[in-house]
Amino acid sequence: MKRRGTGVGCMFYGIGNTGLPNPAAAFVEVLPDTSVNVIVGAADIGQGSSTMAAAVAAETLGLAIENIHVTWADTQVAPEGGATSASRQTFITGNAVKNACTQAMGELRRTAAEKLEVPEEDLVFRNREIYSSKDETKRMTYPELMGAMSYRGRLAVGAGYYNPKTTYLNPADMSGVPYEVYSYATCILEVEVDTDTGEVTLLKCVSAHDVGTPINPKMVEGQIEGGTAMGTGFVISEKIDVDPKTLAIKNPTLSKYIIGTNMDMPEIYPIAVSSEGEAGPFGAKGLGEPALIPSIPATMAAIGNALGVTFTKTPIFPADIVKAWKDKQAAENQG
Amino acid sequence: MSKYAVLNTEFPKVDALERALGTAKYAADYFMPNMLYSGVFRSTVPHAYVKKLNLDKARALPGVAAVLDYTAIPGKNRFGIIVKDEPCLVDDKIRRYGDALAVVAAETQELVDEALELIEVEYEELTPVKSFEEAMAPGAPIVHGQTNVHAKKHLEFGNVDEAWDKCDVIVENTYSTHILSHMFIEPDAGLAYLDEQGVMNVIASTQNPHYDRNEVAAMLGIPMNRVRVKQATTGGGFGGKLDIGVQLHVALLAWHTRRPVKMVRSRTESTMVSSKRHPITMKCRTGATRDGKLVAVDVVMTCDAGAYGSYGPAVIGRAPVHIVGPYECPNVRCDAVFAYTNNPMCGAFRGFGVPQAAVCHEGQMNALAKALNMDPIELRLRNAHKVGTVIPTGQTLTESVGFTDTLLKAREKALEVMPEAMARLKTE
Repeated sequence: MKRRGTGVGCMFYGIGNTGLPNPAAAFVEVLPDTSVNVIVGAADIGQGSSTMAAAVAAETLGLAIENIHVTWADTQVAPEGGATSASRQTFITGNAVKNACTQAMGELRRTAAEKLEVPEEDLVFRNREIYSSKDETKRMTYPELMGAMSYRGRLAVGAGYYNPKTTYLNPADMSGVPYEVYSYATCILEVEVDTDTGEVTLLKCVSAHDVGTPINPKMVEGQIEGGTAMGTGFVISEKIDVDPKTLAIKNPTLSKYIIGTNMDMPEIYPIAVSSEGEAGPFGAKGLGEPALIPSIPATMAAIGNALGVTFTKTPIFPADIVKAWKDKQAAENQG
Repeated sequence: MSKYAVLNTEFPKVDALERALGTAKYAADYFMPNMLYSGVFRSTVPHAYVKKLNLDKARALPGVAAVLDYTAIPGKNRFGIIVKDEPCLVDDKIRRYGDALAVVAAETQELVDEALELIEVEYEELTPVKSFEEAMAPGAPIVHGQTNVHAKKHLEFGNVDEAWDKCDVIVENTYSTHILSHMFIEPDAGLAYLDEQGVMNVIASTQNPHYDRNEVAAMLGIPMNRVRVKQATTGGGFGGKLDIGVQLHVALLAWHTRRPVKMVRSRTESTMVSSKRHPITMKCRTGATRDGKLVAVDVVMTCDAGAYGSYGPAVIGRAPVHIVGPYECPNVRCDAVFAYTNNPMCGAFRGFGVPQAAVCHEGQMNALAKALNMDPIELRLRNAHKVGTVIPTGQTLTESVGFTDTLLKAREKALEVMPEAMARLKTE
């Protein structure tokens, strides 16, 4: 018999290391032709930290993303980036890039203010132009600004770093400020369960994530979809088996450790939620791990909801489902 | 005008093209003139002393450039991101299946494999510790140092013991999660060489090149600025490439042979020795008022962390802080103990204990909803973090708390795209 069920899963996630310093740094140089070198320590493992760094630099400097070239994760060139872990690079390396750009803009502001004859604090850098927020007719292009910089022998260089505002936690009770900022998420997921075979079909999944400010909506979607694949797999297909004698992993291959494919995925409806805050670069927060988490409890709850039973252990494999359903029926027949 | 000129607009990832075209260079794609291939001789028992390690036959094989054990390490032979408890090559005892005993570099991969076959080892086997319970039992064999307790945490907020009287409903459950593997699509790989300035260069698939640099420098006993680690294009990690992988081994071999050395782990070797997700058991008692406000949460958390610390201290630090989930609760206690065993090493894995914590807190919220006959989303809305919430560490949240919006927006979308499913939420 096929039965459908729905589950809700929520989470919050502290961005960066727990109650520990975890700084990251960036170098920036705006070149005479308005192209920019951004150098960060952050390892990009496909999640998109380098793209994030380019976007934050472009936004801060008032240039286009095409103007930015990012070099990353080369220790003889790039400053400390810390680990690509704890969903920290958007928040921490992002702030480092913003700080480095702000430093590089010191000379850019001084020069633009001289040329336009306006106070530095009125200047807006946006879309490759610099203008006064008080009088938008006072404006110049970025190439004009870089020409003025060259004429004056000025360089637009910056180094910046960021360390989240946290405290060490009290060893007695863990009190303190473990993280500066938290990401949030809610996932609602629907499954169909075959009570005879124990097979679970993932039908639909809505996953809403508070990312502060989305840097790149497609990357947000990609993270949520990938995270849902891993979170649902956590519950219904993935498990390491350890040999009880040698304590070796018995299934170290992709043929025996089953991760979901596109064919196994539900229809996913990712939602990026914004929230107001100053901590992250333009309010942005991490998503790498939050993307995974809520679909795990949501999948457990959905399978439970389909059968009218409660699961408290992972994984939930077909044999577990068939047994739970039989046990439930046996209990009902006795009752 | 939109607030941002660039953010929240459509633009491609900076590395999209080379990844899509297949021209991106992963660590295994690097070749250098005069380059050696390499491999690792690993233990096939989980807990043992090495009585004898015979490298002579492997060394005598023509085409073999180096066969090294721990005695070849010029600097430190203990590494680890938080606790330095793992050897580059075993020097005292084997603590898990797959511990590295020796490394081989040779002219071809076939010769490497042949040389590995020629290495002979004799073990003096020790009783392995196979579970958290075995690790904590009196008289248990000790995996590291003086105790099998790898880490302990105690979180205390409000007054849990006095809070139960204020609860109209209490739910109690034990949750447990299992060991998982990251299964990043690209197995670990790397290449090391000394450049013309004598700087040790390591190109590797990694999540943490600066940490790798520091560990390679410590192992070789040279300053950090004499080591250059460059991340190659990396095919995923999910935490599994935060521990140092092949980097130490290729650097050691390149140091001794003065030739470029490359190492590419097979899928099997990669999965065998990279870290795994901590399996955590959480015994949880949660109390609430009749109208669904959380009053108290008390959790005992235990975990078999495997043979080495890796990121265990980060997981045990994070999980208690997140154990209540994104909900206000004035009284919280969490006691956590992680134990060393001879099982596969657990470490960083996307979420650092929060996925496990979420299994517990969401299970408890659903159990409460059932006990109170309340809509599960409504129950969550009533307890949701907001600006001004004090979390169980005493921190007050001051900004960027969008949890309620995620609940409302997810519900709104779900009512649109799966209305029947939403109706089923209430019929448990």
